Amino acid sequence: MSYDYLFKYIIIGDTGVGKSCLLLQFTDKRFQPVHDLTIGVEFGARMVTIDGRPIKLQIWDTAGQESFRSITRSYYRGAAGALLVYDITRRETFNHLASWLEDARQHANPNMTIMLIGNKSDLGHRRAVSKEEGEQFAKENGLLFLEASARTAQNVEEAFIRTAAKILQNIQEGVFDVSNESSGIKVGYGRPQGASGARDGTVAQRGGCCAN
Amino acid sequence: MVNKHVPDWLNSSLWSSPPSLEEDERLSRHSTTTTTTISYSPAVEPTLDPPTPPAPPSPTRVEPEKPPETKDSPSNDSHSSDLSYNDISEEVDFSTVDISRQSQLLAEISKKVINIRDLRRISSQGIPDIPGIRSMVWKLLLGYLPPDRGLWSSELAKRRLQYKQFKEELLMNPSEITWRLDKTRSCDKDDSKSESRGLLSRSEITHGEHPLSLGKTSIWNQFFQDTEIIEQIDRDVKRTHPGMHFFSGDSQFTECNQEALKNILIIFAKLNPGIKYVQGMNEILAPLFYIFRNDPEEEYAASAEADTFFCFVELLSGFRDHFCQQLDNSVVGIRSTITKLSQLLKEHDEELWRHLEVTTKVNPQFYAFRWITLLLTQEFNFSDSLHIWDTLLSDPEGPQETLLRICCAMLILIRRRLLAGDFTSNLKLLQNYPPTNISHLLYVANTLRVQSIG
Repeated sequence: MSYDYLFKYIIIGDTGVGKSCLLLQFTDKRFQPVHDLTIGVEFGARMVTIDGRPIKLQIWDTAGQESFRSITRSYYRGAAGALLVYDITRRETFNHLASWLEDARQHANPNMTIMLIGNKSDLGHRRAVSKEEGEQFAKENGLLFLEASARTAQNVEEAFIRTAAKILQNIQEGVFDVSNESSGIKVGYGRPQGASGARDGTVAQRGGCCAN
Repeated sequence: MVNKHVPDWLNSSLWSSPPSLEEDERLSRHSTTTTTTISYSPAVEPTLDPPTPPAPPSPTRVEPEKPPETKDSPSNDSHSSDLSYNDISEEVDFSTVDISRQSQLLAEISKKVINIRDLRRISSQGIPDIPGIRSMVWKLLLGYLPPDRGLWSSELAKRRLQYKQFKEELLMNPSEITWRLDKTRSCDKDDSKSESRGLLSRSEITHGEHPLSLGKTSIWNQFFQDTEIIEQIDRDVKRTHPGMHFFSGDSQFTECNQEALKNILIIFAKLNPGIKYVQGMNEILAPLFYIFRNDPEEEYAASAEADTFFCFVELLSGFRDHFCQQLDNSVVGIRSTITKLSQLLKEHDEELWRHLEVTTKVNPQFYAFRWITLLLTQEFNFSDSLHIWDTLLSDPEGPQETLLRICCAMLILIRRRLLAGDFTSNLKLLQNYPPTNISHLLYVANTLRVQSIG
């Protein structure tokens, strides 16, 4: 399937907050209660439609453990969007957000859109971080914010799509130079600006073979 | 584009089939493999001895009548999507060649002094699923059991005692340590009295050992740092093979197994402060513990935790640099190992290498990082991983070169699909490797060795 744009996302956050489960819910619409540890990086892709425009999301799900940071840092480069995830039932995962944000600011495109996600919203009875704290942190740092549940799928779709809508808005406002690869945005085939930029292979080539 | 580096055999239908026929592909690949298993042996192992008559099994360790130890594992594993395939591959194990290999293996490990070189040669093609055999052979291959059987009981007793001491020293919490210190200081007082008091009186805790002490040498300070690692290990152990009852569930058996894995990882982390614990170590630990814990001999099963610890240390000694963040960019680190894989692929199949890395820009790090750091434990179902490990542990050159050849063979086996794929489809394929006949994979991997030498 052809697309107007391809956006590259990265999912970051502490180990065990549900990064891989969010991705799985978004790409496969299913939940796996106990997910294998992510070692290195896992890849997912899906088409979405924003304002009637087909957009391909290419998502890099990273390992959460500190020991992997030197590897995962290389995935920041060229990401247009980031989902920064914490677990509302584990306070420390919220406390570490500043450090993740610093990492992102240091290694990513400064115009990267960041969506803060308080995951496991279905576990309200074990909540250790209030929704207001999440909102506050997002506001202070200029992030989008949602509480979501990979288990019930609540707000999962919204998280990915709102991030994409924001990126699209930024493109329309001219914030990005979409011809520059490091923006994390590729213009699809058939669109005037994209013909040269889309040949490097990070794009799904010749639509049809890789709609997912 | 004509590429001189690609010999015709790479494109043979033996290695792969058209991408559209997945089901058929497995079947046809399988049926070709049955014949391959029989015919390739002389080529792969020119030094193969004529089949020896079945040796009398070792009196204490061999119990062939028991069901295969992996019976509950493969179908539950999350990566096992093709159950019928497993059933078939078990049948392959009973082929003539396998039976003669099995008898050779039994003969070798029944010797008073085992020839490790011969053992490596025989077991490199896979160790039969007879209870206890893999457990013994892996311990021999990892150098934990000495070749001389006469030394086994004393050596094992020594190591198991050593592990018991590690546990006593390293798994105790600070309260227990200070309590012990107190006990030795006040040995004139009787135990029941100090226990009835519950806590130490303030005057008896030295300032440096107070829980609120900020001193770096404080055992409490160390304790709080350790707590973070221990919590992480605890969480990760619970996420190890979530589909297998042996590792995951609420039964007491499962909890004991999880406790053992946890102890081993904590002790390793404390004895190796430069590496501590890195995610993925749990995955490497799991097969060792699974095999040793299922040893039919009770004494061995009961000491599985200690035995696993030392074998884990030995196995990791060849790979520990992959877990060390400081070495990620050094010549011994993970990036360098991934580059070696890339070079190996280029050497054996430049067309595929070019398509992956140049045309579709699939950086080998995207898939091979996990393949290499986890020794392929997440790419195949559990019983297939064990088979791969038989070969990895058998190689006299050490596991790394073999591992890279197997990874390279994995790429070559699906070359047609990769050559037809773009970035997205190739990366998905490589991160979710299709079920494969493992004997066949190992055969192709071994062919790469022969070619490198020639």
